Amino acid sequence: MKKSMLGIIDVTMYPEELGQLSAHRSPAAIPFAGRYRLIDFIISNMVNSGIQSVAIFPSSSPSRSLMDHLGSGKDWDLNRKRDGLFFFPALSKDGQLSRLDEHRDYFERSQQKYVLVSNCTTVANMDFTPALDRFINQECDLLEITHKGKSAEMYITSLPLLMEIIDNRHKTGYKTIKDASEDEKSPYTRCKYEYDGLLKCIKTINDYYQTSMNLLEKEKWSQLFNEFQPIFTKVKDEPPTKYIDGSHVTNSMIANGCNIEGEVNHSIIFRAVYIGKESTIQNSIVMQKSKIGHNCVLEHVILDKDVVIGDGVVLRGTAEEPLVVKKGSVVENVVASS
Amino acid sequence: MAKQKCVAMLLAGGKGSRLKELTESLAKPAVPYGGKYRIIDFPLSNCANSGIHTVGVLTQYQPLVLNSYIGIGSAWDLDRRNGGVTVLPPYSESSEVKWYSGTASAIYQNLNYIKQYDPEYVLILSGDHIYKMNYDIMLDYHIEKQADVTISVIEVPWVEASRFGIMKTDESFNVTRFDEKPEKPESNLASMGIYIFKWSVLREYLEMDENNPDSSNDFGKDVIPAMLSDELKLVAYPFQGYWKDVGTVKSLWEANMDLLDDEQDLNLFEHSWRIYSVNPNQPPQIIGNDAVIKHSLVNEGCVIDGEIQNSVMFQGVEVEKEAVVKECVVMPNARIGRGSFIERSIVMSDLEVPENTIIRNESDDILLITEAFLAEHTQERTKLEEA
Repeated sequence: MKKSMLGIIDVTMYPEELGQLSAHRSPAAIPFAGRYRLIDFIISNMVNSGIQSVAIFPSSSPSRSLMDHLGSGKDWDLNRKRDGLFFFPALSKDGQLSRLDEHRDYFERSQQKYVLVSNCTTVANMDFTPALDRFINQECDLLEITHKGKSAEMYITSLPLLMEIIDNRHKTGYKTIKDASEDEKSPYTRCKYEYDGLLKCIKTINDYYQTSMNLLEKEKWSQLFNEFQPIFTKVKDEPPTKYIDGSHVTNSMIANGCNIEGEVNHSIIFRAVYIGKESTIQNSIVMQKSKIGHNCVLEHVILDKDVVIGDGVVLRGTAEEPLVVKKGSVVENVVASS
Repeated sequence: MAKQKCVAMLLAGGKGSRLKELTESLAKPAVPYGGKYRIIDFPLSNCANSGIHTVGVLTQYQPLVLNSYIGIGSAWDLDRRNGGVTVLPPYSESSEVKWYSGTASAIYQNLNYIKQYDPEYVLILSGDHIYKMNYDIMLDYHIEKQADVTISVIEVPWVEASRFGIMKTDESFNVTRFDEKPEKPESNLASMGIYIFKWSVLREYLEMDENNPDSSNDFGKDVIPAMLSDELKLVAYPFQGYWKDVGTVKSLWEANMDLLDDEQDLNLFEHSWRIYSVNPNQPPQIIGNDAVIKHSLVNEGCVIDGEIQNSVMFQGVEVEKEAVVKECVVMPNARIGRGSFIERSIVMSDLEVPENTIIRNESDDILLITEAFLAEHTQERTKLEEA
């Protein structure tokens, strides 16, 4: 217990550039990699690193999809009598440190010595113990996790120091832990820990698309998924995916519960998707429960959840600018119906 | 304990010896089926979906896998403050350990479990069958018919009738005769091993049966015939739909192949009657550049780089490049090595099939590919090569 850590996930970071994908949901709840939501990665990493108390600071109106996804925290083994999963909705919009201050009871009651403060959209499979060891061994005050020399926007500090930074925020002018960590004049011993595995913080649609597509390379995929540090997510009881006569699937990642009659190449298909006969899906991402009719062509497209594509529809984006189709849209073939 | 209208007792101690190595270290209800399930998921999901939330699961043979699989029943939403799933293994009373000698004695030894819920009805189920059924509708039927016992029946092909408990009924489905595995069946209505009893009647007859030294303590052989000869009201509940007893390697294979047949009635994709199972927490399946998948069911965690045809792949199966799997059921986490060819077989869990293993099967039987099978197969091949 000596090395125990609290996990703080700030869910208010960067929703701006995720466009349509975060129009109806918190960025944390954006579906990713066939069956996950972005926040699954950071929570699983925390849990796999032995963190037993995870506090989520959502924006002022916690999104329904995020609350629904996390529930009691059971799927991450965080439904505990002591510690577990906590939600602390923001009352003000004054910045991270003020929002943490609004819930200082949580910090005061916690027994843990250290705190990990993270954003919610980083895709990685990392163990935080080596970073914590460095923090302890080098007697740091504030440790920043970096990737390829750039900040991963994850910080480790001690609980008393976090409280001090919160208390002094008006004097120092820091709004976030990041401010404290980046201030070269700060009195704290600042350290860095470079993580060299796969890590990507999803801030834009392009990040989302490129990171997703990269997972189709086995070497990248296996850096994210292994049996020893599993990524946990909310369980859905879908049957295995059914490949029906006429289907042709290559170089793709497919979740459960799909019925595939068409052609899928270099794409990511989420659960319970239907792909009709003679349709071709290429370099695309199709989110859960979307239905694609017959004779459709989709290239460089991101279909959000519950989209219905009518027979014969052709949609094309580009590798640099994938076409995003809004959640729940119905796209019909205008030419055919007129 | 709060009173429950109906308590289910699920008999899950079956050994399933004809499933050979598949049941060497697990009970038949724990045998994997359909790419992600175990057989017991079907009765447990049926209970949850029918609103029956108090289920005693009677285990005996090789209970380890089954017990840890069932856990506290969370996977089927059966972790309840009141009732829920309770695993009921045989226990010792004073000096003597009482194994469950038959289906009736298994229930008899757990009368105390049922008593604490003071139910009106007891539903007896078997953990060996694959089907979807709404027990609540059967219970309504039982109540409406004012029956002492309702037995669910299904029409089976006449040629197979002698494998089952066969029921003869009058035109309003009152049971007039019951024959356990008759040589010359007089009807093709087979008992599905699903009974609803009035609790008071069940209790009385189980106590009587236990005190009868000549009884084999079996529902089909002893309890039901005794009730019939006492002229109790026994009613048949005709079931229509998919129902399969997977007693052999071949029938287990067939039941898996049935899932690939679009015409059959067992729809796993029906959202209003989901079949729940313990989630193995695997990433989505990865389909490689040269993969060919034809008419198959593939579960999450699979990595497919070879060719699969008319097959069912459980979680975590790997099919390497240039390997061909045809009309097979591949159990969890097995790996089919590069350049191999396997047809009409069931491949055991966790098995590593070495590269270039060729297993052809033109016979009518289904092969069960185990460690021992592979060892023998390699030996034979080496002999052939030497000759």
